Amino acid sequence: MAIIETQNLTYVYSEGTPFRKVAIEDINISIEEGEFVGIIGHTGSGKSTLVQHLNGLLKPTSGTILYDGKDIHSSKEFTRSVRFNVGLCFQYPEYQLFESSVYKDIAFGPQNMGLSEEEINEHVLRAADFVGIKKEMLKKSPFDLSGGEKRRVAIAGVIAMEPKVLILDEPTAGLDPKGRDTIADMIDNYRKSTGSTVIVVSHSMEDVAKSASKVLVMNKGQVEFFTGVKEVFSNAQRLVEIGLNVPQITGILMDLKAKGYNVRTDIYSVDEAKSELLRFFKERGVL
Amino acid sequence: MIKDITIGQFFPGNSVVHRLDPRMKLVLTFIYIIAIFLCKNFLALGAMVLFLLISVLLSKISLKLIGKSIKPVFIIVLITSVLQIIYNDKGIALIEYGKFHITTGGVFTALFTTVRIVALVVASSLLTYTTSPTLLTDAIERLFSPLKIVKINVHSIAMMMTIALRFIPTLIDEVDKIMSAQKSRGADLENGNLVQRGKALIPIFVPLFINSFSRAYDLAFAMECRCYKGGEGRTRLKEMKLALKDYIAIFMLIAVCVFVAITNKLIVAPEEYSNILDSFVRFVL
Repeated sequence: MAIIETQNLTYVYSEGTPFRKVAIEDINISIEEGEFVGIIGHTGSGKSTLVQHLNGLLKPTSGTILYDGKDIHSSKEFTRSVRFNVGLCFQYPEYQLFESSVYKDIAFGPQNMGLSEEEINEHVLRAADFVGIKKEMLKKSPFDLSGGEKRRVAIAGVIAMEPKVLILDEPTAGLDPKGRDTIADMIDNYRKSTGSTVIVVSHSMEDVAKSASKVLVMNKGQVEFFTGVKEVFSNAQRLVEIGLNVPQITGILMDLKAKGYNVRTDIYSVDEAKSELLRFFKERGVL
Repeated sequence: MIKDITIGQFFPGNSVVHRLDPRMKLVLTFIYIIAIFLCKNFLALGAMVLFLLISVLLSKISLKLIGKSIKPVFIIVLITSVLQIIYNDKGIALIEYGKFHITTGGVFTALFTTVRIVALVVASSLLTYTTSPTLLTDAIERLFSPLKIVKINVHSIAMMMTIALRFIPTLIDEVDKIMSAQKSRGADLENGNLVQRGKALIPIFVPLFINSFSRAYDLAFAMECRCYKGGEGRTRLKEMKLALKDYIAIFMLIAVCVFVAITNKLIVAPEEYSNILDSFVRFVL
């Protein structure tokens, strides 16, 4: 059974004022347990609005969201428990740090869950380990850390609740390439060792292509595609039309194809592209 | 949730009211508010309400929004009305129950104050609904510029106001974001006693303050980079000039005020008015 499912989900901002705006319209998706879903879309396509529905932060204007087959707004208690099971990490999460030490900040979520002191300690240490924060750093004030470290602490704050579904909104925005790789590896690592479902909103096609098993493409508040990575990137034409891109390497192969070279274009990682090009050269007798 | 607050919000438009000189609008609102408190009879109050109604219609702001602006004062209106009805014992009694009685005088005064408060709120909302915050502070700066003589730096004060107003939506957005983020970590903002609720605000206000300070530094840097050095010798992109419509507007308001003054003097004081009301009630009973 799907762990998260939306039915005719619609959300309208500022209903009843001149600023009325339909953010998402008639979204029907279902996400299975253990999947890694990448959400891509143009700015303002409703990605962030959608993920804020999945843990019950926003109440849909119409439609329902099911967690484990149950409407997440069926009761206040259930909504609260969903918050712990569906961990949502916002864009630029480092701006939410508030505690006097890294340890305390990561412990905020587990504390709210009502865990015992011991359990909290375990959760915090495990989360810190996942994001690669060393023990001595836990005593520091979060405001003394570098940008990338702050980001990791903030993500640890969500991971510490050990949610069954982890949602990250643009986790790598504004980081340098190394920071981006660290975060991407960290998420991968978390998913593999806990088996949780992961949903990542991203601008980077490369990131999505690298790790996601399914891609949800949003366009003007509606679902454009929701299928496997290969199928999505094979629709390059349509992606470009709605203001998105294919991974750079896919773009190169497409250009080659357009110039008359017979290469495959359903490739979106550098390694695969390398072997495809080698194959192609061998075929032509260049190598 | 927080975003639904409409007080002080600006709704862009191109109506006559939008295009009035902001200085004039400020003065008009000021006079209007004074005048509404000088009204002593329903005729004068009616004229004031009519003036406001015409302005609202001219502004093309939807009545729904106007209604929204009244919402926050609803409780104040309710309390004053109830107090007036209970404690005012002028006029004849409509209902009597032991010590408790409702009189025509009470009902009359309650109605009068309700209309007054509502008109007051609608008038000031109309000002902010139709005037952008920048224009408004600009107008304030100019209206108070004579204070330069007494060494008050009007420009700096106006600049501070502009910046403060400019950042209200940003801060509201930010509070919204931080609240959502902490709620995602299970922060409980709605339940608990006063102490618990107070404590629940710490995770929201600490980041908010830190972000605001860093933003303030950034802004100061950005302003200095563009050679901002205060009001001395600074020219403006848009010069304000009074036009015919501004004179018409003030003339109309003065006419209404004169009418209010005349009716206050000549026609009836509220007590006498309620006497007329009393005789009417007696007649019906």
